[in-house]
Amino acid sequence: MNNLKSRLAKEKRFELYGFISVFLALSLLSLLFISIFSQGYTAFEETRIQLKINFEQDILDPGHTKDWSVIKKSNFNLLVKNSLSEIFPDTTKRKQKKKLFKLISSSAEYQLRNEVKNNLNIIGTSKKLWVLADDDVDMLIKGHIKRNLPEDERRIDNKELEWIVTLESKKYIDKFFNKTLFTNGDSAEPEQSGVLGALIGSLFALTITLALSFPIGVATAVYLEEFASKNNKFIDFIEVNINNLAAVPSIIFGLLGLAIFLNFFGMPRSAPLVGGMVLAVMTLPRIIIPSRAALKSVPPSIKEGALGVGASNVQAVFHHVVPVALPGMLTGTIIGMAQALGESAPLLIIGMVAFIVDIPQSMTDPSTALPIQIYLWADTPERGFVERTSAAIMVLLLFLIVMNSLAVYLRKKFEKDIN
Amino acid sequence: MSNKKDSITNDDNFKNFTSSTVGDIHVEDPRIIAKNINVYYGEKIAINNVSIDIGKNEVLAMIGPSGCGKSTFLRCLNRMNDTIDSCKVEGELYLDNKNIYNKKTDVVTLRAKVGMVFQKPNPFPKSIYENVAYGPKIHGMAKNKIELDEIVVNSLERAGLFEEVKDRLDSPGTSLSGGQQQRLCIARTIAVSPEVILMDEPCSALDPIATAKVEELIYELKENFTIVIVTHAMQQAARVSQRTAYFHLGSLVEVGTTEKIFTTPQDKLTESYITGRFG
Repeated sequence: MNNLKSRLAKEKRFELYGFISVFLALSLLSLLFISIFSQGYTAFEETRIQLKINFEQDILDPGHTKDWSVIKKSNFNLLVKNSLSEIFPDTTKRKQKKKLFKLISSSAEYQLRNEVKNNLNIIGTSKKLWVLADDDVDMLIKGHIKRNLPEDERRIDNKELEWIVTLESKKYIDKFFNKTLFTNGDSAEPEQSGVLGALIGSLFALTITLALSFPIGVATAVYLEEFASKNNKFIDFIEVNINNLAAVPSIIFGLLGLAIFLNFFGMPRSAPLVGGMVLAVMTLPRIIIPSRAALKSVPPSIKEGALGVGASNVQAVFHHVVPVALPGMLTGTIIGMAQALGESAPLLIIGMVAFIVDIPQSMTDPSTALPIQIYLWADTPERGFVERTSAAIMVLLLFLIVMNSLAVYLRKKFEKDIN
Repeated sequence: MSNKKDSITNDDNFKNFTSSTVGDIHVEDPRIIAKNINVYYGEKIAINNVSIDIGKNEVLAMIGPSGCGKSTFLRCLNRMNDTIDSCKVEGELYLDNKNIYNKKTDVVTLRAKVGMVFQKPNPFPKSIYENVAYGPKIHGMAKNKIELDEIVVNSLERAGLFEEVKDRLDSPGTSLSGGQQQRLCIARTIAVSPEVILMDEPCSALDPIATAKVEELIYELKENFTIVIVTHAMQQAARVSQRTAYFHLGSLVEVGTTEKIFTTPQDKLTESYITGRFG
């Protein structure tokens, strides 16, 4: 009787421990998500200012050439400045004017330039355009810079604040969905920076990683598990080393990439191609080990059945064992790829940490990756990058979720196919 | 290794090899001839000097206590033991006068000729149709889909399963009951038209009704195939087989017609096993 009581108590206690640990894990996870989300959600909006731009013939194309190669050299910034001066005609002092112009992001001139490039007939007319505001204005509008602080403690002085209030009262200032974040690469100006460059870099690198590590990893696992002789010292040696490789710190793989891929083979620095190759080497043992476990868990009777009807060893393995083990192999691959996506250390070493503004067009273009972009932004002092850091983390997590759900979908599909 | 010979002819004096087995190990028209077979697992000897003939169109039952080597011997007949690294086979084994342990023997062709049904039903995790069609497919036995369909239906019919599954050939083989699964495995085996079917305790995982069905099937299949069956149930051996071989600790103790083994066993060991004194 006593025995039963203590046993039941033990079971209850164990259940409680389990519940507590799950609860703890979940609350920490939600804390993480809440903190990232609450800091980052504002990054999905950007502040724009409406300007009535006069595309003056005299500034853009005084000679009436209608030739883009001539027009593109003109001073588009002047159009922005003129337009601002129109709204605030009282500002005449040179110093004040300079301050006024700084309310607008330096990207405005490129926006106008594109506008003209797309439609040369616009010259001589005027058009209302929403141009990007400077990051300080953005931060003020989003409330990250408090208006009621004393003037010397905020980045926007009273005069600038006065202008912004004027713009607000005229409804010339508003928040829009932040397209810039998803269409631009990195930039020194927070309002002009985006994650696209890093996203493409990560995508390229992971494509290379998957293309290299999945076939090689699965082939290795299949060979070791199904074809290699079990009593072979050399095979044992390989096995031990695969297990060791899985535990090697990732930065070491970066050094290996630097020494072999960059210095020996002379491959391009900072390229997603090399990043992907380094990540592939790192991911290999993480695919091989679970793939072997998956192959091992296939009942030997299935293989025997195939051999029994006269299938060769290769046929038995590839027609029957591998399909059954495939879902397990995919699980290993998902975990390996997720780790590769979040990995930054080896990429730092091969130079993917550089400040790169251009969106990479090919696998050999210099690029960064998402975790490195996060690291770079987290390292920058501007207030505007704080929310963008969180936004980049969200993009990374979203990428991860999309990748994982795709893999889970594939796994379910394969599982259904074999049952 | 003494299995150097490729094949034997009737001139060979192969009936004169030594054997400690009681009873008649030879038959008139043998399909399989095993000569002084020894099997080792590493250092351990599992089969000790076994010689036996297996005739055409007969059912040979192999009985004996657990671990006596009957399954090991059965797995020698289609070289299934090759899959075990530590397993070593010595002696000569002829199928239709060809030494199957010759280096030149193609194991794949051999296993197509000598099919095997296992202790636990092991259908492939694929559809019923695919299960049966797999063997003919890999051996290129059907020129087109119509021929393949014919083989599948024919095999299922011969395994007595067609009526039960004809409406759901696309459902997975694993969804069938244990007895149906085992008959599916038999259908899968006969689909490649083997000469010999090896059965390793095919009914040990089945209930009496399913067992009866499989036994009935074995009885019918004997018309066209040589069947070697390992069984623990002596009644089963008595019901389905013409000849019975009794194994004990890796040796073949006694072989004879089933009737003789069960009524007048000559060896003491056989007698005590049959009468249930050990096993």
